[in-house]
Amino acid sequence: MTIKHNYLKREWLFLLPSIAALFLLVGCQKQPNLTFGPTYVADNGSADIVVVDTSTAIMSTVYTDSTATAGTGYLMVGNYQDTYMGKINTRAFIQIAPPAAPPTLTQFDHYDSIALVMRFIKSSPYYGDTTVPQTFVVNQVDSTYQLGSFQRGFFSNSSLPINPVPLGSATVAIAPNIPFTSQLASDTVIIRLDQNMGATLYNMIYNRSDTILNVSKFLAWFNGLCLSPGAGSQGAIYGFADSNVTMRIYYRENAVLSTQKFIDFTETNKSLQFNNVTSDWTGTALANLTKPSQYAQPPPATPSIKTANASYIQTVGGLGVKLVFPYLNAIAQRPDYLGVLRAQLTVRPVPGSYNNTWRLPPAIGLYATDQNNLIGGAVPATGTSGAQTGNLNLDYFHPLNTAYIYDVTNFVKALITNTTITGIQPGLMLSVPAPANTTEFTRAVLADPTYPVQQRITLSVYYISLYPHN
Amino acid sequence: MLLSVTSFRVMAQGNFSPYSQMGIGDLEDEFYNRTSGLANTGIAYRSNRFLINNNPASFSSLSDQFFVMETGLRGSFISYAGQPVTPASTQSADITFRRLVMGIKAAKHWGTSIGLVPFSTQNYEFNSPYFIQGSATEIANHYYQGHGSVNKAYWANSVEFFHHLSLGVDAGYLFGQLNQKDILQNAGNGASLISTQNTVNLNNIYMTYGLQLYGKIGKKWQYSLGGTYSNRSNLLAATKRLVQNADSSVLQDYGVSENYLTLPSAYGAGLALTYNQRYTLLADFKYQDWTGVSKENTYPGKNYSLISSYRSSVGFEISRKKNYYNNKVELSYFQSGLYYGESYLQINGTQIRDMGATVGFGVNSLKSPLAYSIVFQYGIKGTTSNDLIRQNYANITFNINYGAVWFTKGKKYD
Repeated sequence: MTIKHNYLKREWLFLLPSIAALFLLVGCQKQPNLTFGPTYVADNGSADIVVVDTSTAIMSTVYTDSTATAGTGYLMVGNYQDTYMGKINTRAFIQIAPPAAPPTLTQFDHYDSIALVMRFIKSSPYYGDTTVPQTFVVNQVDSTYQLGSFQRGFFSNSSLPINPVPLGSATVAIAPNIPFTSQLASDTVIIRLDQNMGATLYNMIYNRSDTILNVSKFLAWFNGLCLSPGAGSQGAIYGFADSNVTMRIYYRENAVLSTQKFIDFTETNKSLQFNNVTSDWTGTALANLTKPSQYAQPPPATPSIKTANASYIQTVGGLGVKLVFPYLNAIAQRPDYLGVLRAQLTVRPVPGSYNNTWRLPPAIGLYATDQNNLIGGAVPATGTSGAQTGNLNLDYFHPLNTAYIYDVTNFVKALITNTTITGIQPGLMLSVPAPANTTEFTRAVLADPTYPVQQRITLSVYYISLYPHN
Repeated sequence: MLLSVTSFRVMAQGNFSPYSQMGIGDLEDEFYNRTSGLANTGIAYRSNRFLINNNPASFSSLSDQFFVMETGLRGSFISYAGQPVTPASTQSADITFRRLVMGIKAAKHWGTSIGLVPFSTQNYEFNSPYFIQGSATEIANHYYQGHGSVNKAYWANSVEFFHHLSLGVDAGYLFGQLNQKDILQNAGNGASLISTQNTVNLNNIYMTYGLQLYGKIGKKWQYSLGGTYSNRSNLLAATKRLVQNADSSVLQDYGVSENYLTLPSAYGAGLALTYNQRYTLLADFKYQDWTGVSKENTYPGKNYSLISSYRSSVGFEISRKKNYYNNKVELSYFQSGLYYGESYLQINGTQIRDMGATVGFGVNSLKSPLAYSIVFQYGIKGTTSNDLIRQNYANITFNINYGAVWFTKGKKYD
């Protein structure tokens, strides 16, 4: 027999919509955000991150007695006295030449005056107390302006003899950020030069002298100029773009109307223009700096302990900071050490050593170095290839926040497991990167590890920790 | 296929269960069977058609030569409340297959069943910002994830003696995998730095013994008394630990063997009274002696402990039957139940409480070999006090039963 009911049909009508509704409702849901859990987590044997920021860092100031200051594009002139760096003085040497096609002067024209005209354009380098007027003195180079035998170029310690009798001088206050000068000639500094020399040059032009028409003869006769700060002045160092430095002869062209005209002598042999930088560290910690004792030797490094527990960067003055981490591989010998996650170098200037006047370098590069204390290749951050500049966080109100920070993961990874005694003594060098390294006098006084924790140089090694298992 | 069914989730992401981060997760209290609508009250329950996993002694009550297969599907909606819950996100839902079992009355007094049922489930994720060791200022984030389940494959047999006594043994094999991941992240941008993944493979034999004593009181009353006992068992774990860099390069990969957790002795007792084969009242009480194995359970964690748990429940069932040629055939049934229990977790001094009610309705098809039931459950787990989480949950359970008479030489109805 067969028992017939409609249950089956009814059952499916009941079941299928119910299950379909369930799926649809659930499909709209998402997981809640629960912060339940951290309170109940104990050591579960997972890998962890441990930071070690107590690795010994030995800081030294490396002194290079000469830096490449030729052909920088700026005539750096001035001087100042800095508590940390002593007396810094810089002179600029330049060769100038008459115009290629000097004007034809007539007997009706007459000479007026001669001056050195220098524009201080915005964004040009300067350093020091700019509220103090600075005296600029112009002297004529008193010998042949050329490189000596076997001399490859002019450097910061190069110099040429000058005629002790200045051609002229001017004392000017320059407001560099406007810029404006106290001579009320906008951004221009004008130094009146010797009137007789100007008359001589005027007459040579009038006579179409061969010395004027032939540049080589002119350079052999005139040599060049030296711009230097006046004795006793102490203000700031200013950088005048070489294209804006002109020796100008003013004259009047007399015709129906009398017109003032001028003839410009501009820079020639740009690569031979150089700045002579001298430092007098007397009375400062830098007086203890080890100087080179031989003609050719690796730049000597002076430990920070000898220089008031600080090291100094002023690349144009030949100062850089070397860092070595002699006991770094002790981290790798910890029982829980698994590998380096990342490493960060934090470099802090000594609190109070900088302000709006004594500015910090906006960028300090990080380079490899070794026992020879020479600057090697840039040390890039992980995943990048470019040089690091420290990403300066400048905070005048909270000086402890001011720091240069570098990713040194690759450097530490290579060093931390290197137990080979190679004598190379790899380290890091801090130096102002090009092109500012030859024109910027900004400096940094870096606190060594004897300073309190939050003020000193710190190498933070973040390593992956996993305690040994059975 | 059988093994994969119970742990398979329809949704890619199951409901978070914050308490499941402790121990081996949420222990399963439900059976997804005929007793679901009775608040899973069924230690004393006997059925001639349904597989009552609540007590292995029950399988002897199956009809002769009757083969049964059952599966269960549950949809769960959870609303979370408490201080650790972000107000903007308080609900979740999922659907999971929960059970696949089959059984047969193999001989006149011998019923047997095999199947796969859930034993515990772990599913949590949370963030734990912390100060990097060695720094008082720098913060990283632990992003913890835990997903997995422990299932039980069993073979249960029960034999009836003297028409009033049934004894049963459930030989279970517990197995499962817990995937626990600890991802260390940059607290600022959330980038992964390192991850430690523990893949914990658990297994062991887990035995449950049961008995049922039943009979009639007068002409209309039937009684049944039931008891179960599970002996303690060490849940062995083979843990594979994998430490990886952010670029997935392997830093460490090793395995450890350990006793992950000791399951305690568990006891259960139940009572069922049936009137006129129509109305049945049931009551259960279950107890697990976690306190007795507290020394063995050194599972890492803070501010919580494993403590003896209990669960009590009552159920009431109305069965609608019809006479067909001197046999009473059940057409449908209605069930309701209440339960109250305290779990094996004591957190911040508070034992996690679980209570709720169920309502179920089932239909036994006469046209097909299938029977269906749908059960609605509403419960509250936990509390909002002591920085804990309260979960208000609503479950919908579908149970499907397939029954057929095997090994018969006579004519079957079509």
